[in-house]
Amino acid sequence: MPLPPRVLPPLRRESPMSGLDRRNLGPLQVFAQSISAAAPSAAMAAAPAVAAAAAGSGVLWSFVVATVLALLIGLGIGQFTRRMAAAGSLYSLTAKGLGAVAAFACGCALLVGYGLLTTAALTGSGVYLQDLLGRAGIEVGWGLVAGIVLVLGALATVCVLRGVRLSAQVVLVTEAVSITLMLVVFGLLLVRVGPDLAPAAPDRGVAGIAAGVLPALGAFIGFEAAASFGVEARRPFRTVPRAVQGTAALCGVLYLVAAYTQVVGLGRLPGGLAGQPEPVSTLAALQRLPWLSYLLDLGIAASFFACALATGSALVRVLLSMGREGVLPAALGRTHPRYRTPHVAILVALPLATLLPVVLVATGTSTSSAFVTLLNAAVFGYLVAYLLVCVAAPVFLHRIGELTRGALAAAAITAPALLAALVVFTLDNLGGPYPALFGAFVLAGLAWLGWLRARRPAQLARIGIYDETSEADLLGGER
Amino acid sequence: MSPETPLSGRQPKAVRSALAVLEEVVAAGPGVTAKEISAALKLPPATTYRLLNLLVGEEYLVRLPDLRGFALGRRAGRLATPVAVRPPAAARAIVEHLRQRVRWGVHLASYAAGRLTLIDPDPDHPPSDAALLARYPHVSALGKLLLADQPDWRAIVRELRSFTGRTIVEADHLGAELAEVARTGLARQCGELQERRGCLAVAIRDVVSGELVAGLAVSGPAERVAEPNGELVALVRDHAGQLAPLLA
Repeated sequence: MPLPPRVLPPLRRESPMSGLDRRNLGPLQVFAQSISAAAPSAAMAAAPAVAAAAAGSGVLWSFVVATVLALLIGLGIGQFTRRMAAAGSLYSLTAKGLGAVAAFACGCALLVGYGLLTTAALTGSGVYLQDLLGRAGIEVGWGLVAGIVLVLGALATVCVLRGVRLSAQVVLVTEAVSITLMLVVFGLLLVRVGPDLAPAAPDRGVAGIAAGVLPALGAFIGFEAAASFGVEARRPFRTVPRAVQGTAALCGVLYLVAAYTQVVGLGRLPGGLAGQPEPVSTLAALQRLPWLSYLLDLGIAASFFACALATGSALVRVLLSMGREGVLPAALGRTHPRYRTPHVAILVALPLATLLPVVLVATGTSTSSAFVTLLNAAVFGYLVAYLLVCVAAPVFLHRIGELTRGALAAAAITAPALLAALVVFTLDNLGGPYPALFGAFVLAGLAWLGWLRARRPAQLARIGIYDETSEADLLGGER
Repeated sequence: MSPETPLSGRQPKAVRSALAVLEEVVAAGPGVTAKEISAALKLPPATTYRLLNLLVGEEYLVRLPDLRGFALGRRAGRLATPVAVRPPAAARAIVEHLRQRVRWGVHLASYAAGRLTLIDPDPDHPPSDAALLARYPHVSALGKLLLADQPDWRAIVRELRSFTGRTIVEADHLGAELAEVARTGLARQCGELQERRGCLAVAIRDVVSGELVAGLAVSGPAERVAEPNGELVALVRDHAGQLAPLLA
């Protein structure tokens, strides 16, 4: 069959994402961003107990299901990241499948998710350092915690500002230290606890396992952070999808080890794992290794700091994309000529994320309850964004003529599961400040959308910029 | 992250299919879609998509802005060795003129297809092995000119191999030097390939498009190359300027 003669579509001379430090991050650095944003060290210590409250000893199966779900979400994200390199993460990806309005919703959800997770991570780092000082016998008032958060926030702002390679390096080292500490802690506990097959038998059946999936899935949020480094990764189409999938798999394994250790180790205590406010510390004390708690606190605080850096970096890249599209003020789309980072977005977003927990603590909210509230609200944003991108994936593949049965099947499993998780999560949190908080987010988003429709319809339609192929990328098309 | 697996029995077929996909993109021209490639090669669609994504990931292919169409990427240029074209007589005369003015070796190199090829090496002062220069552009002045002109020099340098104690093997250090080379259009290496030898090279650019087409180098004792050499640089630049309209 003779093919019609082809005309090369006009190409840009310069990528719309120029100004960022293009193609400069190695695979390990990209991987570290995703791992850090998922903050597995913190989740290893806290998530199993939360999930066990719903799932009982079936909590291991809850984590297995959550890992499979995370891998499927990663598959959906990978359909995009193997084909386009974006800085706007799931926001820019959703645009290519579902169009501007859905992408806008995803963008709002991401701003909530990334913004509040950055804030929560800074708070978490402060909380665990406070714990560490408390264990050492130093009484810590709210002033000192606020001070710690401010210092950490300033440090994070400087790192993110001074170049993506520097912050990636800090993230890589911090997270490596943190995971090593956690492996030491859990390794020692596991040796003491010994093998026991009992937890394989769930005591609350399938319903219990299902109820535990949502908190288990919450432990994975942030694992897609590599998707916002597409422009800066050296080989984005290879590294980014691998980083996202690799993070889901690695976190899954870490969580299973952590959950197993805690279920077995605390099984004899009244209430089991679910009854423990500080499960790992209790377990450490039970095994006569109280000094492990220091390592634990340090590891978690470091992990949260890396999480704030990685999530903050992802947040400002979403703001950068929105600034360049005209959805947000154009100033946010600027990049620093020397550091090649979105400096305006960084100087707006990161100080805000640092001040929010300080204000919350100063107004009398306890640090730990501020942390939990922020984290839960962030999970809401993430779930919405994951749902949208998973629905967008098969539509996108169909649009470019590359839909396969496998991709369709993955979306058919993931999307309903995420929708169910979202509904359950919303119903679960009908008490407390959440309905008002979520309502406020939705109203703000709708108002913003209405304004864009009325005043900037062209910019709204342009949503979804990414690092397009430019003339210089083509063979023989150099300049 | 990628464990090295031995070549299994099925893989030769995959390699053959990947090469067929590359050929099909060349034959059909830029903008060909995955569906069309799959139909033309009678490959299962899922296999075609996987191979295309692999080739895009390795940057042999690029996706066009509609995300449907494919074209050859810059890296595909490395699959063919460019034919070294003998420069025109007028250009050789200019190079010869420079040889008579300086007592160092004078070499002319072309950068066709993003690769360093010596097209007029000095017969009286033979340069280093051409294959070595092409393979390790970071140790020669001519190679540094080429690297400094790339949007991403790291994509071309496979290995920062060390030849002498003075070879630059640190990526950030090399990056800073290349930025300086890009700014001045003048590259130097002093004993980075051979302890006692060094060279200076200036860029020759297309007079209309500004594209880097060739480089003119003088090579001599390393310690002499390290000197400012104001007059020599001016002389080489002057000859490079005369060569530009003849080589583009």
